[in-house]
Amino acid sequence: MCGIIGCVGRDDATLETLVHGLSKLEYRGYDSAGVAMANGGVDVVKTSGEIDDLRETLEGSALTGDVGIGHTRWSTHGPPTDANAHPHQDCTGDVAVVHNGIIENYQSLRDELVGAGHTFTSDTDTEVVPHLVEDALEAGVDPERAVRDAVSRLEGSYAVAVVIAGEETVYAARNDSPLVLGLGEGETFLASDVPAFRDFTDQVVYLADGEFAKLDAEGWTVTTLDGEPVEKDVDTIEWDPEETGKSGYDHYMLKEIHEQPRALRQCLRGRVDEMAGTVDIEDLGDLSPTGVQFVACGTSYHAALYGAQLFREAGIPAQAFLASEYATSVPPIGDALVVGVTQSGETADTLSALRAARKRGARTMTVTNVVGSTAARECDHAFYIRAGPEIGVAASKTFSSQQVALNLLALGMTNTGDVREIITALRELPGNVQRVLDESVAEDVAEVYEDAGAYFFIGRGYQYPVALEGALKMKEITYKHAEGFASGELKHGPLALVTENTPVFAVVTGDGEQARKTVGNVKEVEARDAPVVAISDGQSDVDRYADHVLELPETHPRAAAVLANTHLQLVSYHVANLLGRNIDKPRNLAKSVTVE
Amino acid sequence: MEIDTAVVLAAGEGTRLRPLTRNRPKPMLPAGNRPILAHVFDALVEAGVERLLTVVGYKRDRVQDHFGPTYRGVPITYVTQHKQLGSGHALLQAQSAVDGPTLVLNGDRLIDAGTVEAVADTFSTTGDPSLAVVERQDTRRYGAVEVRDGVISDLVEKPREGDYRLINGGVYAFSAAIFDAIEETSREEGELALTDTLANLIESNRVRGVEVDGMWVDATYPWDLLTVAREVLARGRVVESARREQVWIDDSARVHNEAVVQGPVVIGPDCEVGPDAIVGPDVALGANVTVGANTVVQRSVLDADTRVDAGSTLLQTVTGQDVHLGASTVVPGGPADVQVGTRVFEDQRLGAVIADRARARGDVSFSPGSLVGPNVTLDAGVTVDGNVDEGVEVTR
Repeated sequence: MCGIIGCVGRDDATLETLVHGLSKLEYRGYDSAGVAMANGGVDVVKTSGEIDDLRETLEGSALTGDVGIGHTRWSTHGPPTDANAHPHQDCTGDVAVVHNGIIENYQSLRDELVGAGHTFTSDTDTEVVPHLVEDALEAGVDPERAVRDAVSRLEGSYAVAVVIAGEETVYAARNDSPLVLGLGEGETFLASDVPAFRDFTDQVVYLADGEFAKLDAEGWTVTTLDGEPVEKDVDTIEWDPEETGKSGYDHYMLKEIHEQPRALRQCLRGRVDEMAGTVDIEDLGDLSPTGVQFVACGTSYHAALYGAQLFREAGIPAQAFLASEYATSVPPIGDALVVGVTQSGETADTLSALRAARKRGARTMTVTNVVGSTAARECDHAFYIRAGPEIGVAASKTFSSQQVALNLLALGMTNTGDVREIITALRELPGNVQRVLDESVAEDVAEVYEDAGAYFFIGRGYQYPVALEGALKMKEITYKHAEGFASGELKHGPLALVTENTPVFAVVTGDGEQARKTVGNVKEVEARDAPVVAISDGQSDVDRYADHVLELPETHPRAAAVLANTHLQLVSYHVANLLGRNIDKPRNLAKSVTVE
Repeated sequence: MEIDTAVVLAAGEGTRLRPLTRNRPKPMLPAGNRPILAHVFDALVEAGVERLLTVVGYKRDRVQDHFGPTYRGVPITYVTQHKQLGSGHALLQAQSAVDGPTLVLNGDRLIDAGTVEAVADTFSTTGDPSLAVVERQDTRRYGAVEVRDGVISDLVEKPREGDYRLINGGVYAFSAAIFDAIEETSREEGELALTDTLANLIESNRVRGVEVDGMWVDATYPWDLLTVAREVLARGRVVESARREQVWIDDSARVHNEAVVQGPVVIGPDCEVGPDAIVGPDVALGANVTVGANTVVQRSVLDADTRVDAGSTLLQTVTGQDVHLGASTVVPGGPADVQVGTRVFEDQRLGAVIADRARARGDVSFSPGSLVGPNVTLDAGVTVDGNVDEGVEVTR
């Protein structure tokens, strides 16, 4: 999991462009960073730490050049040290390589190269690549061929970019890790993701697995690894580069929490017709699945748990699986549609699960935020959540957009009679989320429980995934212990953890059986002196047992799950803020995890 | 235009527009179906401004959420005024972000690009502080000015007497020296008013008055939003696609083909208008508004997420955001005597003002001139007569 960038044709602005691009890719990793410039020779500057640390290091260097590559790293092989930072070089220092992914056969390649006299200076899998290129060059092949030969020996996942002394060219190749070209006037970029160069161009070419790109003063070419030319479509990026500013907020996450009303409007736009009582999910066609298997990770998995409930309620057997588990022990699929929920469309575990399903002949679909992502291109169908770019590492607006998108899918793919009530509730959601944002007392609650020993979250039905997500958010950005449970499970073990220093957040909506039973669970907690924070629409009597209430407007229970989550996002945000955490870039995490 | 920076003051609540300002500052209230501030930004962008410094304070997240980091490709920098201590104090907050001459504008008045350009040009030619002056019949609500040979000779806030014809239009061009001049101004009751600084400058320097005759529209009281909407529609200052003369409907809106839409009308994104509804003339529907079957809406502004169920009649009505009016709601319209605090405004053309998130369960009637606060619940069959305070539940 890392971000890579390359740039040709920007003359003196090259270095600045690379560093700027890396800062836009920092969400992909921020353990260490570096750049390499081809300027006759090849010079590398790299350091552990964030992009700002790289900037400082560069101030003391005289690095120049018209062609370069750069990297921001999230450690997989070896700790985040200067030595393990990319770019990596060969023995001669004439070859520099940046890489995103995991090279599975790196140990055998490394043993072979060491045996042949190569000296390694890092613990990374990546370092085998420059040495392989060096070997090929020594064997007398031309630089382009040398890179092709080196890459063809790699197994595993990679997006690599290579510069070589004496060549004003960037070579690149991909397999299972994202890589996209940006086409400007007389200048060409490559990167793991579009924001890296979006300030300079909106024209992009997405590379596919097994493709090889060459960027130089002449422009760009894409071929297969064997050198066969490939016709590529040029796509135009719709969103504004400035959508990725902080809009006056201290953190992207708070900005993105506040963007939810707008994100949900975009998700719903043109897809629901309340007058007619219909949902139009574009050109997905008549899928009418007899079953649905969701695969996802992290926050997206919580959305998938919610989505599976929606399908089951419509009479269609549906389950949510953790993608990493599914990929390595695939359950019987039958005629089920396999749906990968992934914000980035690049989550390696989810891609791997989808591929495993496809290999068994299953139809696949992705619910994703990123047009042109690997998941969108590989699956038979793609349904977009339209949340807009999300920069904060902890997902916020994309979770609520996933919830709404899954509602649309469930309504659009199943026939469950009159759905007007649900459509009305969905159309009311943007206004209701705004209401929660305007009126939430989450900040006050955060102040009271900033020092708590642990945080527990309980919910039932639609609110069970919300409880899990509430806990995940708390863990991610506060670094504190937090767990979410199905309300009924509390007494089967976790209750032993509950003390007067562990607030329990109970999500209770409606006044039905689920609410009554959860209120019963709340009483068990209250009897053990734990503080209770109710997230409540006031229909049950949970407020009576709660120390604090985060109020929700009355609405359909499906929509209530979106609203309850908004409160919990705010609680986590404010606790993390009070604790002074690095909210947008929590330690050890990265936005889209493109390694398994 | 030589000046490329503008400071827009958007930090104040605008208390006279309560209860509509419960959740947002006055610049975010609707002029037609877009915030007043959007029209101010339009004028600046069209005049060629390349940097929008926006001073935010009261409910600042609403400004930031709506506009985000750019407007029509021009970057917005937000500067926070934590306490609303006057317009001069607000401008001081932007000092560190300003490095040369700058335009300064109130974010709560509708103006056009010509006014901005005229003020900027006068400043560029003369180097003197310059401000737009506008002719108004009634100058008593505003800062009245007198101009001799293009130079301001007198400025009086809300004059009780005197024969004034011109008012301060709230569009200024200053050099960076304005910040020192504000610092030197004495505070009145803890507040620093930009007009006090101006009054000092008028005595010690030349301040240019630039008479302009472009659009200049202000909302002082909630019902003024009806006039503002009419003006915006008459000038076609809307962003939705024109379907025919004076009818603008967003592409994502759904209007039943048996509904009657009578211009001037603007219907925002995601709206739904049911069969046999009559919408217009002089109606602005914000985003995601729902108008039920057989409902009549005329001379009204319905802000985002408002729902009006079937068989209702709304005349001269202003709703805030997310207002729900059940079936058979009736607002028959003005004229009416409207009470604000202890003042009574006679003969206003106002049906009702219904603030954010008020709920009327159905068959509710509003006497002319009613003001209903935010989060009010009106039980089915209730008749509202006069004012209802925030959060009150009215039962039969």
